[in-house]
Amino acid sequence: MLHIIACCKWVIDEVYIKRGRGEEIDFSSVDWKISDYDRHALEEAVRIKDSLGGKVTVLTVGAENAVKGMKDMLSRGADEGCLIKDESFARLDPAVTADIIAHAVKSRLSPYDLIFFGDGSSDLYARQVGPRVAAKLGISCLTGVRKIAFKDGYVEAERSLEREIEIVQAPLPVAITVLPEINTPRIPGVKDTLLASRKPVLNLSSCDFPDYTVPAVRTVAIKAVRLDRGCVFFENNAGGISSLVEELKKKGILS
Amino acid sequence: MDFKLTEEQELIRKNMREFCEKYVDPIAAEIDEQARFPKEVFEKLGAGDWMGIPVPTKYGGAGSSYLTHIVAVEELSRSCAASGFTLSIHVGIVEMLLLLYGTEDQKQKYLPPLARGEELGAFVLTEPGAGTDVMAAQTEITRDGDDYVINGTKTFTSNGPNAGVYIVFGWTDKSAGRKGMSAFIVPKGTPGMRVGEHFQKMGIRASQTSEMIFENCRIPKDNLLGKEGDGLAIAMTGLDHGRIGIAAQSVGILQAALDESIKYSKQRIQFGAPISRNQAIAWMIADMATDLAAARFLTYHAAWLKDEGKPFSREASMAKLFAAEAAMKHTIKAVQIQGGYGYCKGAKVERLMRDAKITEIYEGTSEAQRMVISGSLLR
Repeated sequence: MLHIIACCKWVIDEVYIKRGRGEEIDFSSVDWKISDYDRHALEEAVRIKDSLGGKVTVLTVGAENAVKGMKDMLSRGADEGCLIKDESFARLDPAVTADIIAHAVKSRLSPYDLIFFGDGSSDLYARQVGPRVAAKLGISCLTGVRKIAFKDGYVEAERSLEREIEIVQAPLPVAITVLPEINTPRIPGVKDTLLASRKPVLNLSSCDFPDYTVPAVRTVAIKAVRLDRGCVFFENNAGGISSLVEELKKKGILS
Repeated sequence: MDFKLTEEQELIRKNMREFCEKYVDPIAAEIDEQARFPKEVFEKLGAGDWMGIPVPTKYGGAGSSYLTHIVAVEELSRSCAASGFTLSIHVGIVEMLLLLYGTEDQKQKYLPPLARGEELGAFVLTEPGAGTDVMAAQTEITRDGDDYVINGTKTFTSNGPNAGVYIVFGWTDKSAGRKGMSAFIVPKGTPGMRVGEHFQKMGIRASQTSEMIFENCRIPKDNLLGKEGDGLAIAMTGLDHGRIGIAAQSVGILQAALDESIKYSKQRIQFGAPISRNQAIAWMIADMATDLAAARFLTYHAAWLKDEGKPFSREASMAKLFAAEAAMKHTIKAVQIQGGYGYCKGAKVERLMRDAKITEIYEGTSEAQRMVISGSLLR
């Protein structure tokens, strides 16, 4: 029986972020959501379980509000949850997040066969947690995966690279980071949402992680970017085109 | 006091929003134009347990509260007010009446296919000469051995052409006055019942409306809903529940009008600045948002009273009256904000304005709501 772990991050839904005065960003009326790519990771875990049998554990690391996130995650087909929450986990860097996840998987969720991650998170998009967890656990990691098939005892995956598709095989257990094209995540039905809170959840907090270190990366400020338009006009003739090319070269856009 | 929805209700709202963005928004203008009932949308809603939210799980529902259903109607109406209304009638009137008045056999037989969205419900009360004046109905239902026989013509039946389960009202004993009307469950395909003329409506065009004609329509006595003579009370109970749904539909329309107005007024440049900088426009939006908040609270409060098992008839009428009139008033403003663009087909606000008008008319006109509210105060 497969044990599949899907890791999801509970992030601010960017559509609610407003620009404040000057460089300020207004987070006062934000709502939260499951990080976009992570929804595909969870969906893939559940689809594999549905076709091959087994159990899906959805895992998240976050602050107090991740409780609601866990309900959302459990409504999407996972069987069990692992909720690692602590107020000090609100702004972790990828290295510490990976330490926490790897420790939880090793000490509480083993044995396991597959660990799914989104290719990157909707907020930071550092794309580090998947590979770092795999390194900590000493298992292989397949990144940028757009298709998965199971053969005898190993998994075959299609990786989307810049100019080609790479087909790779790896033995289980394996960590996989997925691209959005791998599937279309389900929209939970009403019963799925109502039943989510009845599913078993393993609750962990900072005291379950004795080796927990304060993140090395500290977020000092988040500022809005102002895009200033040059408003340079070019004539619609040969001279205009060559001066446009010159201008783009000057800005380092063309070489 | 607690003004919060539960986390589950918030997630259910978000899921309905996502459902609408994926399956409803892309077709909403087209089904309005073609007056087409979006069967495919309701099949998907059925599969996601949206068609029987307050129905207990043993009858195939989701086993949640009436308020949860109301939130779903609101969110669906924000994308397509016609579909929100179809959902409201189906759950708020037909399923609720079966739950409240049905025998165990009737519940087991009729509720599961309704809750799964395999069948659609219809409430067959209005007649050509009997709108607000329900007692002016002409439909007669006579006992004949173990059967009843229905004769009469009903009009403005929502879901008429698409329903599978009809709750039909008529006189079983006209001499008994208010105790002379009875309600019956009539499944589609019953000989003697047929769909008459289809009505071409100004708004909610994706909800189909027709006459229903009964000519010696014979139904077994097991299809009597409640007791003989309970018809009027059943109809009024159905409308009390349904009105909270219409209030929610109006709230959804209002929210859509506000969304469109904010978006447009920040983009539209006149005299070198977005029109949202003009106080005339900004104040329209302030009034819209304020009435929306008030309408939403009245609506949720009425649904909450229902879930608490408290009387809610007056509050349902208040919510429906206020929300409907606010929806009409502000969708006109939303068109005004968009000017000529808002007056053309393809502008969502044009559809919202047409859809809003019916909320002041059906399931009791605004005047009828004022009768209910004042009647309960001046008794």
